[in-house]
Amino acid sequence: MEKLTKEGLEKLRQQGAATEKNYIKVGFSSCGIAAGAQEVYDVLCEEARKHNADVEIKKCGCVGICSAEPLVEVRVKNMPRVFYGKVDKDTAIKIMEKHVCGKMLVNDRIYDLKVN
Amino acid sequence: MGKTVFIKDTTIGGKDKTRDIYGILLGILRERGLENEVQVVRVVDIGVYGQGVAMRVLPENFLYSHVEETDIAGIVEQSLLAGKPLAAKLVAEDSKQLRIVLRNCGVIDPEKIEEYIARDGYQALAKVLGDAPEKVIQEMKASGLRGRGGAGFPTGLKWEFTRKSPGDQKYIICNGDEGDPGAYMDRSVLEGDPHSVIEGMIIGGYAIGASKGYFYIRAEYPLAIERIEKAIKQCHESGLLGKNILGSSFNFDVEIRLGAGAFVCGEETALIASIEGKRGYPSPRPPFPSVKGLWGKPTCINNVETLANIPVILFKGGAWFAGIGTASSKGTKVFAVTGKVKNSGLVEVPMGTTIEDIVYGIGGGAMPGKSVKAIQTGGPSGGVIPKEYFRTKVDYESLQQMGSIMGSGGMIVMDEDDCMADIAKFYLGFCVDESCGKCAPCRIGGTQMLRLLKKVTEGEGTPKDLDQLEQISHAMQKASLCGLGQTAANPVLSTLHYYRAEYDAHVNNKKCPACKCAKLVRFLILSEKCVKCGMCFKACPVNAISGNRESGYLIDQTKCIRCGQCFEVCKPRAINRS
Amino acid sequence: MNKKMIEEEIREIADSWKDKEGNLIMVLHEIQNRYGYVPREVSLVLSEILDVPLARIYEVITFYHFFRLTPPGKMKIAVCMGTACYLKGGAELLAELEHLLCVKPGETTKDGQFQLEVVRCLGCCGLAPVLKIKEKIYGGVKKKDIGDIIAQYSDETEAKAAA
Repeated sequence: MEKLTKEGLEKLRQQGAATEKNYIKVGFSSCGIAAGAQEVYDVLCEEARKHNADVEIKKCGCVGICSAEPLVEVRVKNMPRVFYGKVDKDTAIKIMEKHVCGKMLVNDRIYDLKVN
Repeated sequence: MGKTVFIKDTTIGGKDKTRDIYGILLGILRERGLENEVQVVRVVDIGVYGQGVAMRVLPENFLYSHVEETDIAGIVEQSLLAGKPLAAKLVAEDSKQLRIVLRNCGVIDPEKIEEYIARDGYQALAKVLGDAPEKVIQEMKASGLRGRGGAGFPTGLKWEFTRKSPGDQKYIICNGDEGDPGAYMDRSVLEGDPHSVIEGMIIGGYAIGASKGYFYIRAEYPLAIERIEKAIKQCHESGLLGKNILGSSFNFDVEIRLGAGAFVCGEETALIASIEGKRGYPSPRPPFPSVKGLWGKPTCINNVETLANIPVILFKGGAWFAGIGTASSKGTKVFAVTGKVKNSGLVEVPMGTTIEDIVYGIGGGAMPGKSVKAIQTGGPSGGVIPKEYFRTKVDYESLQQMGSIMGSGGMIVMDEDDCMADIAKFYLGFCVDESCGKCAPCRIGGTQMLRLLKKVTEGEGTPKDLDQLEQISHAMQKASLCGLGQTAANPVLSTLHYYRAEYDAHVNNKKCPACKCAKLVRFLILSEKCVKCGMCFKACPVNAISGNRESGYLIDQTKCIRCGQCFEVCKPRAINRS
Repeated sequence: MNKKMIEEEIREIADSWKDKEGNLIMVLHEIQNRYGYVPREVSLVLSEILDVPLARIYEVITFYHFFRLTPPGKMKIAVCMGTACYLKGGAELLAELEHLLCVKPGETTKDGQFQLEVVRCLGCCGLAPVLKIKEKIYGGVKKKDIGDIIAQYSDETEAKAAA
């Protein structure tokens, strides 16, 4: 990376702000990792490959709902942005099959908390 | 976007009606041929608690509570078809959380600087580098930000003192030695948004005239260290650290130093000694670190949460920040709400939010079947606040008036099973363990108090012991050298103040009202409830239970070690614990 | 331990910190990372290399909880005794571990397999009560699960020994 100037910084900011893609964010802080975020992340990546899904899977910090870790945030175009809590392998598979590919929210796993 | 309905029965206790209402709503939708237009989904948490069946309609975001079967048709008609709210069932939902410090936590990938920059990262730095340092300090003073490490000293003033102290070399230190057991907001920020702390530190360095900064981070937080290391490397590569930052004439660099497990190193002078590679002994103040700090040079120490606030304040302006919070405490505070609470986690609220809103509104209240008794804030230096006072608004002064402190932001929720004398003993044990031993009031006072509390919780205490506890507490407050000793007695004093009756029960009646203190608990089998199943007999690890399936069972109190195993396994609840 | 080998290793660590003031604690961190504890032989060498009296090194080691003077067990079991974990049953977990492993906190089992430690807050209060074995954190642990959790680790080592 070259040394930034004020102008370069502004350019980077605008580039980054423009993207509007489907994403899945997995909480990757100590608490999330302790609760099993790595397995969830791996399963999501594998399932995404299998289904050839149009979604970016990202590692993020902690949203703060530690008791519901591993926590996964899903945003798919034309659907509400939601958090899934206490995600295990089965839920991760369902998130990919039902939510991302089938455009259907998964029952009994959503934590509807207004955080940001 | 099509319509979405979230459903959750938020009733505490009783049968969960979520599935029933879900079925009814789906039925109605099918009748009207809407099943493909509207998505109905059962959720685990809907953001309100104890308000019957709750429903949220999206994208309009109407939230309904106390929804009965008879209301459903109306909701379909009004909200799903006409797109209007059903006024009678609507709950006003004020978003209680406001995220400034945690703005990027969970939103960006902490290992990618581009994502931080895309969320206005380093914009504040670019802005201030064009201003005079004095102007930056003015802006900070205008914001009213106070140190988030616990004591609440105004950050702008601290910067000004350090700037005005004469010295060829000055330092800024980020205190990431989060020692309060039960608070972890600093870890979360360091792990989730490391660049915001680094940006805050560079700005601080610019304002006070420092060319060098130190991160002092607990060695117990390996992931936080790793993420900060990566972030520092990215900053070096992109010219945000090093010489001529962003093309300006300002030079600044940082280094990481690891803590090694000493609570006292949260104290500023002890922390400095530790960075210098010595034992973390505190030293008397004055001289304050802003005059004579690291290696004798003027030094400013800011906590992680304080630094994470700074980029936002300088990006949006001090006046904007001063508009949030109460008269004397501005901005937001992050609390780690943990213990016996439904949703434990990090909560960021504007100063002046009531404890009630935090514990019940956001935390969701007690665990199933229990009731909240009190909270504890400020960790080993703080005190308890009973639930009768939950209308108290959190800010530095109000919490102090309640006999507690803001502290770094631990908020431990306790329920009816928690004994206040035991809590005091726990915290005091911590302080005795962590006392550096330099001054006598803390070293000896703490040990003596712990001895007295052990007596009390083991049923050997006398009323005189309680008086003595108070006496020693006051002596420690007055005579200890540093903050650790001066505040170590707070948990004892505040529990004695609010829960004297509980202490009295321990010393006078040899009873623990919360049934927590093992030596004061008695287990008895109630013959009228006993079904003679023998489960307790099998569970007892010391064979203190005798009898057989015909005659029933009996606990030998002389053998019983009060482990509670029999109590846990007894299905008909025929074992009485008192 | 071979003194020459130690000297080489310590010199390497010390050199990377040579120009930094107040480096003793950071050097000790690296030493403990390498050996698992700070052996006396190493302290002696370090004292020569850094030209710091041995007493100063021991002064620092004994002050901070993080540094150890005795070798650790193969697997470290850390029970969190932060406030949240304490309230949610951390003390019972500790008692159960003491009972199962027949050691007190700070001690290592006779076979050198497990070392039991009490720590102050691992920062995972939301998952309380928490314990950490090697680098893995277990959250929401119940007393009755402990036996199973430990068994995994004994099996793991047995399998390794067999292979």
